[in-house]
Amino acid sequence: MNELVHPYHRFIRPTVTHTTFCPGCGDGTVAQSILRAIDGLGMDMDDFVFVSGIGCAAWIPSPLFNADVLHTTHGRPIAFAFGIKMGLPDKKVMVVSGDGDLVAIGGNHLIQNARRNIEMVVLCVNNGIYGMTGGQAAPTTPMGVKTTTTPYGAFENFFEDISGLVIAAGASFVARWTTAHPRQLTASIKKAIQKKGFAFIEVISQCPVQFGRKMGMGNAIQMLEDYKKRSISIKEAKKLSPEELKDRMVVGEFVDLDKPEMVEEVTRMIRRASGEAQEAVDTGRG
Amino acid sequence: MATLRIYDELCKGAEECGICLYVCKEEVFQPSETLNQKGYRPPVVVNEDQCTQCENCMIFCPDLAIVVSEKKRKKGSK
Repeated sequence: MNELVHPYHRFIRPTVTHTTFCPGCGDGTVAQSILRAIDGLGMDMDDFVFVSGIGCAAWIPSPLFNADVLHTTHGRPIAFAFGIKMGLPDKKVMVVSGDGDLVAIGGNHLIQNARRNIEMVVLCVNNGIYGMTGGQAAPTTPMGVKTTTTPYGAFENFFEDISGLVIAAGASFVARWTTAHPRQLTASIKKAIQKKGFAFIEVISQCPVQFGRKMGMGNAIQMLEDYKKRSISIKEAKKLSPEELKDRMVVGEFVDLDKPEMVEEVTRMIRRASGEAQEAVDTGRG
Repeated sequence: MATLRIYDELCKGAEECGICLYVCKEEVFQPSETLNQKGYRPPVVVNEDQCTQCENCMIFCPDLAIVVSEKKRKKGSK
């Protein structure tokens, strides 16, 4: 009798004995969704370069994945990924990081690279708090939530719709799911990997330790239940008024466009410029 | 061949996490009576016959600690 072996353990770095996440954290579910998508497409870890920033979600590719990984400075993973893609255009580049990293500190990198429409997959794991540093209020923390830095409740307006920001910036693929939808998330990651252009996926993930406990939402299970209850598909949401959509999470694939991609445009430009230069030399000789 | 395998040492506890117990509609799991090396209580399979191999536990498990065999599922779906 041969024993069952986990199909995705072969993607995990051999030196890693366990995940670095707290019990019940959604990041592990996201990690498995990525591996499932890569496996489902018949791709290998060598086809990818992973880039992550600072934060809990940044621990997904580095140290977990047995691939080329850059663990970069806070807020700058997209800038590093941009450089990798320009240098190695044949590689698939995937950025996995959290909301505090991509939206709060690296917000402008996100906007500008979505505008450039450079081919990469950006996975933003949104847990609504700075989890790793002790549960401080992030720009994504909902109003009224008591955190370490807002003991009487968060008083700022918060970033409710990160996907909306990226859509406005001009990304070619934008989707949002929660950790209660790992199957749909995997399907979206597959599409994003194959997309020629900037693909952004926001995953709303539970942080039972820093967020759930302080907000009174309880443990991982209660948070997942809440996500299931509050999430609403984009098709359904279109029928409802903004008042009815208050406190709901609209999930689904929002944008799937074909737009000029930057690496291709640069290659074309180089070819054209060098062709024209060659032509000038030829005519000069003639 | 067993339908399910739980990697006890990877698990972070049926009480602390418990996502497998929540997503399983057939109540296949139950918290174990023993602790693993890290002091967490992993789940144990109690109703293996009830398992429909929907793979929910495997997909949701944040620590990649559960495997569901594929073989029987393929046979069942055809």
